[in-house]
Amino acid sequence: MLRFTIRRLIAAAGVLVVISILTFMIFQIIPNGDPAIRIAGRTANQAEIAQVRHEWGFDRPVYVQYVKTMGKIFTGTVVSYSQGVNVLDSIRQGLPATLSLAIGAGIIWLGLGILFGVITAVKAGRFTDRALTVLAFIGVSSPPFFLGALAIYYAGYKAGIIPLAGYVPLTQNPAQWFTHLIAPWLVLSVLFIGIYSRVLRSTILDTVHEDYVRTARAKGLSDRQVLVRHTLRNSLIPIVSLWGLDFAQVIGGGAILTESVFSLHGVGQFAADSIQRLDVPPVMVVTMLTAFFVVLLGAVVDIIYALLDPRIRLSA
Amino acid sequence: MRRRQRPVIPAVLAVASVVALAACGGSSSSSSSASSGASSSSASSGKSGGTITQVFGTAPDSLDPGDGYTTQALEPDQVAYVPLVAYQHATGAAGGTLIPGLATALPKISADGKTYAMTLRSGLKFSNGQPVKASDFTYAVERSLKIPWGGSSFITANVEGASAYAAGKAKTISGITANDATGQITIKLTAPYGAFSNVLAFPAFAPVPAGTPMKNMPASPPPGVGPYKIVNVVPNVSYSVVKNQYWTPVPGIPSGNVNQINAKIASNTTSNALSVLNNSADVFDFADTVPPSVLPQVTSQASDRYSKVVFPSTYYFFLNSKTKPFSSQLAREAVVVGLDRNALARLGSGFFVPGCYLLPPPMIGHATKPCPYGDPATPNLAKAKQLVQQSGMAGTPITVWGEERSPRRQFVDYYTSFLNQIGFKASEKIIADATYFATIGNLKLNAQTGFADWNQDFPNPIDFYGILAAGDAILPTNNQNFGQINDPFINSKTNSLGSLYKAPSDQLSAYAGQWEALDYYTAQKAYFAVFGYASFPKFTSNRIDYGSAVLHQVYGWDWLTLKQK
Repeated sequence: MLRFTIRRLIAAAGVLVVISILTFMIFQIIPNGDPAIRIAGRTANQAEIAQVRHEWGFDRPVYVQYVKTMGKIFTGTVVSYSQGVNVLDSIRQGLPATLSLAIGAGIIWLGLGILFGVITAVKAGRFTDRALTVLAFIGVSSPPFFLGALAIYYAGYKAGIIPLAGYVPLTQNPAQWFTHLIAPWLVLSVLFIGIYSRVLRSTILDTVHEDYVRTARAKGLSDRQVLVRHTLRNSLIPIVSLWGLDFAQVIGGGAILTESVFSLHGVGQFAADSIQRLDVPPVMVVTMLTAFFVVLLGAVVDIIYALLDPRIRLSA
Repeated sequence: MRRRQRPVIPAVLAVASVVALAACGGSSSSSSSASSGASSSSASSGKSGGTITQVFGTAPDSLDPGDGYTTQALEPDQVAYVPLVAYQHATGAAGGTLIPGLATALPKISADGKTYAMTLRSGLKFSNGQPVKASDFTYAVERSLKIPWGGSSFITANVEGASAYAAGKAKTISGITANDATGQITIKLTAPYGAFSNVLAFPAFAPVPAGTPMKNMPASPPPGVGPYKIVNVVPNVSYSVVKNQYWTPVPGIPSGNVNQINAKIASNTTSNALSVLNNSADVFDFADTVPPSVLPQVTSQASDRYSKVVFPSTYYFFLNSKTKPFSSQLAREAVVVGLDRNALARLGSGFFVPGCYLLPPPMIGHATKPCPYGDPATPNLAKAKQLVQQSGMAGTPITVWGEERSPRRQFVDYYTSFLNQIGFKASEKIIADATYFATIGNLKLNAQTGFADWNQDFPNPIDFYGILAAGDAILPTNNQNFGQINDPFINSKTNSLGSLYKAPSDQLSAYAGQWEALDYYTAQKAYFAVFGYASFPKFTSNRIDYGSAVLHQVYGWDWLTLKQK
């Protein structure tokens, strides 16, 4: 376990360095991406642009700029070029909304994805399977901004059962927190439920033909026991893998559209705003945050693998 | 140019809303008319006190007056940071009238037009209770140069010693002297600049306490002098303005009616519009577009609290007069004659008024004569094709430049197809919004044509001509004279009218005829393919006294006039 943790930490550090360099370099090679011009304003003259370039350090070699930016990130003093706000403060401010969205939606899409996957596998070829398959395809084909617009209009404006937008912290008002998040949770989950149920259905249908499942049946276990203890347990491995990556991506700001549609002011919305303004420091921090969560959740997924299937060892 | 920022993912959300809500709209038969003309903010029966909420699609670039430059920043800053000179709190053209702010009177201008003298009112206090000194004005100007504020060039280009200070070569701005004992402030310019009183009206130059850090403070804006102060700032999410207990009333500047205004930033303008429609929020930010999917319901269900107001901003396609094909006046005329401005207005969701002159209404100098090439709302494609043939430029390859955001990209799509239709060989090049103006403003690119716009910084025609059309405004980088217009007549008139120090903005109307003649000449030479002037939504909840609420041509929503019914 210790070797596994050390290996993962080293991998995480490597990934973060590579991601940060790539992100920084992308902004260096964008034509006319000079932040000094944007900071100085549309009518600034060359002397003013040069002044900004000097004061912000944009006239130094690229590697010096990179090292300085990374230094500021790790000391918590990095500020956005366009707004001058502390980037880590902004992320800290957006993280509760993003975590609330990710955790709630993650539970919903995992739970319902497994439920629908099992039902469609058990009822394979019957009406229930076909109906849920159609629903899954509808879910996969419905982008969050479309479902979000429908939810806001019908459930928010017409019926008045959910707020039109915004986020209320859990600590401030738990009931408001729930009502502000229920629609984003469902909207974000729909796509994943569709994918997960399809993946699980096909894995279960493959697994039921495995020798160990036949052996379990031969031992006289009931259908439910075979399904839960043997078939489902092994079929969940790809689902856990998917969930880890998807969940990490949503925490790292991947739910840009859902956060924007519902104005949740999470990390994803912050990332989207920053990309629009070609604001390097926030984009670097958000991409590094995403990479961090992907690596972290990857490690957690590996541990869960081992729990689900004793044949898998962490040291392998 | 004051920027009107838009939400980040407007296109996606707008498309989503259109698709999702297409079947939900009410009747669209009742459309609001564009409001025009000047009327003072009317005294009405609204009550004082209470709290109201305004929803913004985009966050201000900064709430610190030393850095904030967008309209979203100006709305709160103008109530928390009153400068020495201010604008009358009235609708229409009257809103462009300068009045004394924290100064006892409008600046006294010397005979040579290069010295501006003012006296600070006595007894003023910052929102932290600290007394205001004349030198706090100097400090604010210096701070805005050091941050630097997006419009710093208004100072560095005009005030003695400002460039040296900005470049770190001087410890203070030699052209500004302030006497704390008498309150007298004197500003020396390098050359007469008729619009300098307008420059003094930017909140960026409103006094802040000496010693305020010389850096942008978006999350905790410095104390200012104004009827309100900015509090509870959560960057990019929300903030509030509350009454400033240390405010000393100033004639001409209302002290505000409501106790508190909460600003909420929500990128989905559809939900913002629905919030105002169902009265869960009170004011829709004018710089946001009411999404087409919601507009029919707004116009039918809220016709008594929704209208469109034309603002001084011009939308046009620049035509490079130094490069083929638009070095030919006939080729330029072809574009001006054949452009379907109604089609462009439709692409702008109806928020455009077709026009042909560079100076927009209601700015002084906006020509009132019929357009030189006929009604701008009636395109003449056959004539345009004929002019292209006559110019000898038929088949000339053209790169049309545009930016990504909607509807600007759609404008360029239409324009490119129009150029091909009349005989050119056009293809478009669309680039990211953040780099667009820096790209086409690089003279080395020598861009042939493309989209451009200009929103007034202040209500003075020099803000358009001095930057967009004068020959000496052609710069190697950050050039705004995209057409590289260097016409001796325009240059000489811009110079003489722009430096009319004896006619600062408060007397500008006396020179309206000369500006109009210049504007007509520019249209005649077809230097700009102007296609319209933007109008903006004045939309509130039914809790707001709509009649007294002023959508101000400089400030945007004038928060000092908002009150509840």
